[in-house]
Amino acid sequence: MSRRLRIPDLGGAVAVILHRPHPTVAALARQLEAIGLRTQRHWPELPPAAQSADYLFIDVDPAHEDQFPWLPGRAPMPTIALIGSEAPGRIEWLMNFGADAQILKPVGTAGVYSALLIARATFDARAEMSDQIDSLRRRLSQRQTVVRAVALLAARGKSEDAAYDQLRQMAMAWRISFEEAAERLVQNAAADKEADHG
Amino acid sequence: MARKISIGVLFSRSGPYRLMGETSRSGVLKGIAQVNEGSRFDLTFHPVERDPAGDVDAYAPLSEEILSTSGARHIVGCTTSWSRKEVIPSLERLNGALWYPVPYEGFEASDRVVYTHACPNQHLLPLLDHAFRLHGKRGYLTGSNYIWGWEMNRLARQVTVSAGGEILGERYLPLGSIDVSRIVQEIAALRPDFVLNQLIGPSQYQFVAAMSELRRTDPDFSGRRCPVLSCNLTECELPVMGASADGIVAAGPWFQGMPTLLAGQEQTQDFISSFEAAAYASVIMLAELLNQRPGAEDLPLSQLLALPNARQLGISARTHHTRLPIAIARVENGGFNVLDVLEPIEGDPYLTAGRDLPRPVLRVVT
Repeated sequence: MSRRLRIPDLGGAVAVILHRPHPTVAALARQLEAIGLRTQRHWPELPPAAQSADYLFIDVDPAHEDQFPWLPGRAPMPTIALIGSEAPGRIEWLMNFGADAQILKPVGTAGVYSALLIARATFDARAEMSDQIDSLRRRLSQRQTVVRAVALLAARGKSEDAAYDQLRQMAMAWRISFEEAAERLVQNAAADKEADHG
Repeated sequence: MARKISIGVLFSRSGPYRLMGETSRSGVLKGIAQVNEGSRFDLTFHPVERDPAGDVDAYAPLSEEILSTSGARHIVGCTTSWSRKEVIPSLERLNGALWYPVPYEGFEASDRVVYTHACPNQHLLPLLDHAFRLHGKRGYLTGSNYIWGWEMNRLARQVTVSAGGEILGERYLPLGSIDVSRIVQEIAALRPDFVLNQLIGPSQYQFVAAMSELRRTDPDFSGRRCPVLSCNLTECELPVMGASADGIVAAGPWFQGMPTLLAGQEQTQDFISSFEAAAYASVIMLAELLNQRPGAEDLPLSQLLALPNARQLGISARTHHTRLPIAIARVENGGFNVLDVLEPIEGDPYLTAGRDLPRPVLRVVT
């Protein structure tokens, strides 16, 4: 499947570079500013205000988790790894920390723009996928409710297939998901039961 | 005693885009003559010329030959983006700089290159705006099969669609191919409001001739209907196309008959095309930056462009692109008739500076 790249609005976007003062930082900042971004440089720690940045560049060679005010894999913005050492231990750290794109050092004028586009697209795709997974998880956890709702309807003399079909029609009529309809049915039945006893 | 400074000249004098290469080369030589004959500068320029003859793989070795054998640090050269991208790694390795004096598709800001002709906010966007206003928003895209055509057409599609228009078709030809019949048949069938043409060299000449034939035989394409648009057509290619070029609408920083607005043109000079004018301006700008600064010819380009007079010359130290006027002109009787002139604007290679179009300073009501 081919997807059309959505080009992010980079004019005035803020890029934070977490790297000790170094020619790499100067070259990277030069290129980011040529593209139209504003840059902030921090070392060794990322201040909390940096969480509102649009992009983050990290120096993988000396990086460790304590530098970041979030847990590994939870960066609130697209993250681009600046890789110097290709020692497997460093790559392993990076895999655990999570990055959306990478640039090999030394940084020149090529590679920065494509890294920004790829990081943004990867970050957005990951966020979308994680929303989808949450929604699937929720539906999965409601399996038991669906079984109870179908059993309730079947108890009123319907076949299992007919009960299932009726639940689907109720969901459509109420304009809610199948699982939500099941939950509503089960809750109503519980309330009725309580009323009977009350 | 004038300083003697070698500068590289790297344009193709044969091959499919030789007319563009020749006009750029001529601009460089005129600029060098201008610098050398006057007393304005404390230096003289000496060209070190190589001819890649349209072979993209010859550019990198020839640029390395210039940089490693002559002492020249600055090269004026390249026509296609493909060749420019071949040269940049050599510049990085051998500490050279390239003055690139032709229109290109943007999305680049090498610290080794000065971009002295227009990028899309200075050609494509105002040209599309013109077409949308006068002809409509249903476009057809064509081009030669390499990055210039691909990227320009990608951008044109994005701009057209976000303006509420549509792209009816898009087709490419290999560089040098003249097999245009399928493209023209498709255009005849689809009847777009405009055709954006990024073909170059013989492909373009054949295409323009076939479109001219279509105009003669199909009333839906007669008069000013469905113009062919171009972001790189200049006077240097009009003679080879003859009357078939009539009606093409082009964008560029300068056309014949306009007041001279590029750097260095205050000296009365006649130019054939904006390609020639921008190549000439590149040489004059370099001379201005080096003038009265012995040793400046060996400075890294970023330091040279950080000098205050780079700003005055219209070169941005941030993007290495130049401030240029914009004109929209239509080919009539073998020459360009200027329709719109917009005020000069900065090159915005990544289109991140906001999309406001510059104000018109001249608009011919038609």
